[in-house]
Amino acid sequence: MNPAPLSLAVVGHTNTGKTSLLRTLTRDTRFGEVRNSPGTTRHVEGARLAVDDEALVELFDTPGLEDSMALLDFMDQLSQPGERIDGPERIRRFLESPAAQGRFEQEARVLRKLQACDAGLYVVDARDPVLSKHKDELTLLAYSGRPLLPVLNFVRSPQARIQEWRSALARLGLHALAEFDTVAPALDGEALLYDKLAVLLETHADVLQRLKLDLNRQAALRRRDALRLLAELLVDVAAWRISIAPDAESMEQAGRRLRERVVEREAKSVQALLRRYSFSRQDLVADLLHFDGERWGMDLFDPQALKEFGVQLSKGVAAGAMAGATLDVVTGGLSLGAGTVLGALAGGLWQGADKWGQRLMGKLRGETELSVDDAVLRLLAVRQLSLLAALERRGHAAQSPIRLGEIDAQDLDQPLQRELNVWRAQPLPDELRQARIHPQWSTLRDDYAPDARREACVRQLAERLLGARERPAKVSPA
Amino acid sequence: MNAAESAGRWQQQTLIEAVRLRETLWGPVEDLSESRLARAAGGSFEQRVWRRALALARRDGLQQAWQQWWQAARWLLVLMAVLALAAGAGAAAGALGDGSRPVNVLLALGALLGLHVLTLLFWLFSLAWTGKGVGGGSWAGDAWLWLSRRMVKGQASLVPQAFAAVLARRRSQPWLFGMVSHGLWILALGSAVVTLLLLLASRRYQFNWETTLLSPDAFVWLTERIGALPSLLGFSMPDAQTIRISDGLHVLDAQAQAQWSGWLLGALVVYGVLPRATALVWSVWHWWRHSAALRLDDSLPGLAELRPRLMPASEPTGVDVLASPDTVAHIRPALDAALPADSICMVGLELAPEQPWPPSFLSPDMQDLGRVDARAERLAVLGRLQAATPRRLLMVCDAGQTPDRGIVATLVEWAQLARQADVILMDSPTAPVSPERRQSWHQRLGAAGFAAVQIHDQWPAAETEETP
Repeated sequence: MNPAPLSLAVVGHTNTGKTSLLRTLTRDTRFGEVRNSPGTTRHVEGARLAVDDEALVELFDTPGLEDSMALLDFMDQLSQPGERIDGPERIRRFLESPAAQGRFEQEARVLRKLQACDAGLYVVDARDPVLSKHKDELTLLAYSGRPLLPVLNFVRSPQARIQEWRSALARLGLHALAEFDTVAPALDGEALLYDKLAVLLETHADVLQRLKLDLNRQAALRRRDALRLLAELLVDVAAWRISIAPDAESMEQAGRRLRERVVEREAKSVQALLRRYSFSRQDLVADLLHFDGERWGMDLFDPQALKEFGVQLSKGVAAGAMAGATLDVVTGGLSLGAGTVLGALAGGLWQGADKWGQRLMGKLRGETELSVDDAVLRLLAVRQLSLLAALERRGHAAQSPIRLGEIDAQDLDQPLQRELNVWRAQPLPDELRQARIHPQWSTLRDDYAPDARREACVRQLAERLLGARERPAKVSPA
Repeated sequence: MNAAESAGRWQQQTLIEAVRLRETLWGPVEDLSESRLARAAGGSFEQRVWRRALALARRDGLQQAWQQWWQAARWLLVLMAVLALAAGAGAAAGALGDGSRPVNVLLALGALLGLHVLTLLFWLFSLAWTGKGVGGGSWAGDAWLWLSRRMVKGQASLVPQAFAAVLARRRSQPWLFGMVSHGLWILALGSAVVTLLLLLASRRYQFNWETTLLSPDAFVWLTERIGALPSLLGFSMPDAQTIRISDGLHVLDAQAQAQWSGWLLGALVVYGVLPRATALVWSVWHWWRHSAALRLDDSLPGLAELRPRLMPASEPTGVDVLASPDTVAHIRPALDAALPADSICMVGLELAPEQPWPPSFLSPDMQDLGRVDARAERLAVLGRLQAATPRRLLMVCDAGQTPDRGIVATLVEWAQLARQADVILMDSPTAPVSPERRQSWHQRLGAAGFAAVQIHDQWPAAETEETP
């Protein structure tokens, strides 16, 4: 039989982000209610953290402490002069008194829960000045006889008074503490938090260790899945081409269709990514109307967007109807079946032969094809990688929408940073060049059929994005 | 793993893929109860995905579609088998003729084995290129899948499409198609052998060879090479002399004809049936291995996103006791107000250390009670206020902080001791105060009984003149 899960009460002054901490630790944006006002949570609400179906930790969100000074006074009245009673006894007397149902009902609830738990996480809004009431609160909580781990919230805010809080807590005998920003947690923030807890609760160290390992595993899985989504998107868009007659009107029409479909495809990928990271569309743009087309998508073909995301260009980008699209003579002239076989046979030869083949086939058919520009593909990759980085660093308590332009380069881990730079400055990787000559690989086509080679290509590209594949430094930026 | 289990695995993967395809093609489906079911049943992510897919497939008729298609595919296979038997028998009968004319051994052998050898070579070549994805390498297999796809209509056609997708992703196509086509070829060649035996047993045939271009020696050499392998297995073979005189110009004895028919049968078995049987065994073995290694690719788009829903990292355990109403202390009218003392007092409560004190608007006629935080300080202020009820009390707070019940209770306590009390919400020294925060100050103070005119966002403000 499994032992009972480790139970932790999340306590603290009102409006310091206790529910936010719960949200971020449970990766559940809908847990409880979060508002920037005191007394938002007035009941005790719990959540279980499970690894492999086994509940390891149970967290309880408690109401905020608001009137600890008066409560401390009241407790003093409950003991006779000269009587020496310890903390738990003080709390027992208080809980038995009528005031525990009246004025101090909320505080009683917190103390009762904390006593029933293995330990408490004392959430501190690091932007608040250290005041007497906080010290009184800690005194009160210490009476419960449970280990307390102070958790400094909002440490990333410029107004955070981390040092002040550290020394104040040290004076109260709380030397172990964790810094954990619930809105923008550090990548290893949760792991560090559990490490600190393991020091306080050595009998539960193995449980916390398991939780920590699972965190890492889940994070790796999430990134793997995210990069697979991105690889699928890139292959779909790179392979896609529309055949058109070479007159201006049909070109304009085709250009519009091309952009619309690519924007749609990106939106689909973004939604999948958000779902994978347990976020919703509200996390991306405040205004849902903007999501499905206009602002989020259309500027993909706007030359300004290229600049904004730092995608380097060698030549000028077309504007207007043909922005972001490349016209070339039919390459898939030997369409589908024959093309696949030839491609398979010729392999490397194809690369050299295609220029000649292009011209020949184009002349024969008198058609042109429209495909998405290299620069747009690179922008797509950069944008999605930035979004991925933002999601990995976003706490589930965050309320303001993500702004992609604002990601700090120092925040990125090395493989991601390297990938971003590569996509900004270097030509497309081999996998996408492969996709370019296999129009049948694009799921944007109506007649798309599954293809084992496409699968292999997507998988390779995903591995490359993971940083597992080195890119040969053979070509200089074209 | 037996055949049923293997079919079950493929069915499983196909249904998961069909559900996935449908969701990617036509958008997300309503799956609340199915997801809950899968979550409740527990197990690995793959098992949960399968439970959800199965529940959805049952609900939306995909499960029946699979059965429908699978049955159709099996009937098609039976039909193709019958055709293969007939074609084998026909080819054998055609190769031997009705006995009225002598049988040209090489042409007969070509008619019996030619197409078989060509398709077998094609299949072998395609194996070398499976890495490059060149189809299934078998026309019979292709035709089978293609025809079976045409036999189901509407939404059910998702199932064969999904099956093809799973095959393509696993690169199992050559082995499945190999099993189908080699099986059919064995039937055809077997029926040819039986027909040949029947015809040879019941009719009298004369065998010869003909050539215009080649020398008889070349023919002897070729015949002996072809017959060498079958003769090892005990099939009879004409000797060189017999071959040389079988040029249609000499009359052969019955013994020689029997030897020729043995040669023909031997070649058909050794170059026809045996290679196909080997290829079939090979295909079946590979198919078995592929079936055993069949795993869900859980990073596929459409499946990966299910992970947070099917395997949530946490689950809420609910609320223990319902929330009680927010209680805030109220001002009680000061019935036994002390004698009016004619002073204006100012006090700062729970201010951050950066907040300058006294504030700039402290005028000489005001009495500064100082900044107050600790309990003892509060009690001291309380005592001074009780001693001489001031005409006016200005209480300065930091608007950037949270208006908790503790601070509100203190403000209320003090306010009761002055004839008029005002709360001044100063801007935080470090950061601008959000409007929501000010809003909650106003709300809480209002709830505590402060009138709107008593609460000020800055000082001095035009409307803050003393009320007469």
